[in-house]
Amino acid sequence: MEERLQGNPVSEGIAYAKSYIYIPGTLTKAPDFFPKGQEEEKYREFRESCEKADSELVTLYNGMCKEDPDKAKIFSAHRELLQDEEILDEIRETICEENMNPDSAVSKVYTEFAELLAGVEDPLIAERAADLRDVRDRLLRILSGQETSKLSSFSEDVILVAHDLLPSDTATMDRKHIKGILTEVGGVNSHSAILARSYGIPAILGVPNVTEKIPTDTMLAMDGLTGEIFVTPGEECICDIREKQTSFFRKKEAEKNFLNKPAIMKDGTEIKIGINIGSQEFDVPTDRYDFIGLFRTEFLYMEGKELPGEETQFEAYRQVVQKAKGHPITLRTLDIGGDKTLPYMELPKEDNPFLGKRAIRLCFAEKELFLTQLRAALRASAYGPLQIMFPMVGSLEDIRKAKEYLNLAKEQLKERKQQFDEQIRIGIMIEIPAIALIADLAAEEVDFASIGSNDLTQYLSAADRMNPEVAAYYRSDSTAMLRLLRFVFQEFSKRGKEISVCGEMAGNPETAQLLVGLGARKLSMSSGNIAGVKAKLAECTLQELTALAEKKL
Amino acid sequence: MTKKQVEIVNKTGLHARPASDFVLEAKKYESKITICRENGVPVNAKSVVRILAEGIGQGTKIEIAAEGTDEEQAAASLAALVESGFGE
Repeated sequence: MEERLQGNPVSEGIAYAKSYIYIPGTLTKAPDFFPKGQEEEKYREFRESCEKADSELVTLYNGMCKEDPDKAKIFSAHRELLQDEEILDEIRETICEENMNPDSAVSKVYTEFAELLAGVEDPLIAERAADLRDVRDRLLRILSGQETSKLSSFSEDVILVAHDLLPSDTATMDRKHIKGILTEVGGVNSHSAILARSYGIPAILGVPNVTEKIPTDTMLAMDGLTGEIFVTPGEECICDIREKQTSFFRKKEAEKNFLNKPAIMKDGTEIKIGINIGSQEFDVPTDRYDFIGLFRTEFLYMEGKELPGEETQFEAYRQVVQKAKGHPITLRTLDIGGDKTLPYMELPKEDNPFLGKRAIRLCFAEKELFLTQLRAALRASAYGPLQIMFPMVGSLEDIRKAKEYLNLAKEQLKERKQQFDEQIRIGIMIEIPAIALIADLAAEEVDFASIGSNDLTQYLSAADRMNPEVAAYYRSDSTAMLRLLRFVFQEFSKRGKEISVCGEMAGNPETAQLLVGLGARKLSMSSGNIAGVKAKLAECTLQELTALAEKKL
Repeated sequence: MTKKQVEIVNKTGLHARPASDFVLEAKKYESKITICRENGVPVNAKSVVRILAEGIGQGTKIEIAAEGTDEEQAAASLAALVESGFGE
């Protein structure tokens, strides 16, 4: 019988394959006991499983260290838990004094500690419960005599069905045969979702009780675009899904054709496409984009153990200028403070970090830090078209103050007789509603502006975009937001000042259409979105998009 | 037994890396070491899980208690580590 389930689509794509229900080493049997006298032998069995687990973790850590140091850290944290004194003591007691079998004892003690952590109010600690479960499952697998994770090799294509996926499951996952992922928990930003997208595997998360509803080896069809799952689909449904699959692949292929071409609409209107980058280590061929709309500079400050010096910064900025081969680059000055902190700088704890002393506000307070960055950026402008953008600007005073700092930095360089672009263009991020509402006045003060649609939406709708409880209130396509955007585009365009968008709205094909309809001609996005946006824009005329936007105002 | 009262000054509290650093330092001593929140129950300072489970944030006052041959040194060095803000 065909049955339909629905979940939250987080990674696009279509799959049709057998189900594989993944239940990690968790014990389903009731705890069992061994006869007295075997304590020593049973305890040794447990200690050996710990040693084996530790050596597996070392291997995983070393293997991951170069590719993804952040992910590698997870495994050193697991080693720490594996050697935790209290956990070891409790397991020893459970085995040696209660005579519980090692697997049952591991399961019991680790589960108890995981529940203890899961109950802590601080979400950062509660999340670590997943690490304890991960270590537990590793030990249980080893105790059951299995060599490798069940997910590391399949002999045929499967759709993986699990409660949740843990970091160590996914690190060694068989990417060739796993065609799709379904889980019971997790949202767009969960570990499983990020991983599925980076592997290009379709995924639907948040499907209630899916591991109980679907037995292993059941044929499944899943649509990672809509979130639909068809259990034992009938002939008609299979045909349908095959068709969708073909058209999805065709669409992906077709999009690739747009990648290296300018974004031209049906009526000939060209939209300039920019990329957002987060360091000088970007690798996007220069024929795919027209400008670098957002060069985030935070990486320089997050990596080291102290504030980056002028030379380090200058070197990084110069490399970007040279790599961009003549494409204009918008360098955004330090956007830190609030939720993003620096390990070596004591910043006051704030109740509302997003409304606090962040970005330009912090730079105004830390003069030397700000001037150092401005000097480095100015010096890089001698090598190509670099422009400077100030984040979190909320008033004309902010703009004027920032310009004063820039002039001071220029003076300092002149004294040192160092080269820079005297006519360097300066601009602002539009992310605070207060500046958006005076776009007419702001446009007179600057050469350009870029709309940070994520923060602007968040501030306008008073909804934290990281808080899933208020996700429904965070709407970038609300009438209020669209009216505000149109006003900003109009006021800047009227004055012949450059205006672009660098938030997530620009990289999503649907909202990109809307932005163009409202007046945007420059969109900057992460490089993975270029093909999709270019392809979508090529489908329509400017007139159609204007009409589309009008309807929503 | 040697006891020291300290306040957590670093921003992240006794979480993540600070918790690991604290346990690592505690393990250098032979003494039995516990930490205790105000009106709380003492927990083993050599167990990262126990410390995490206490959910000790910035501004929390804790008592470090050590008992054993190197108790004075242990309590002093752990108190100093907390007061240094774990280099944050």
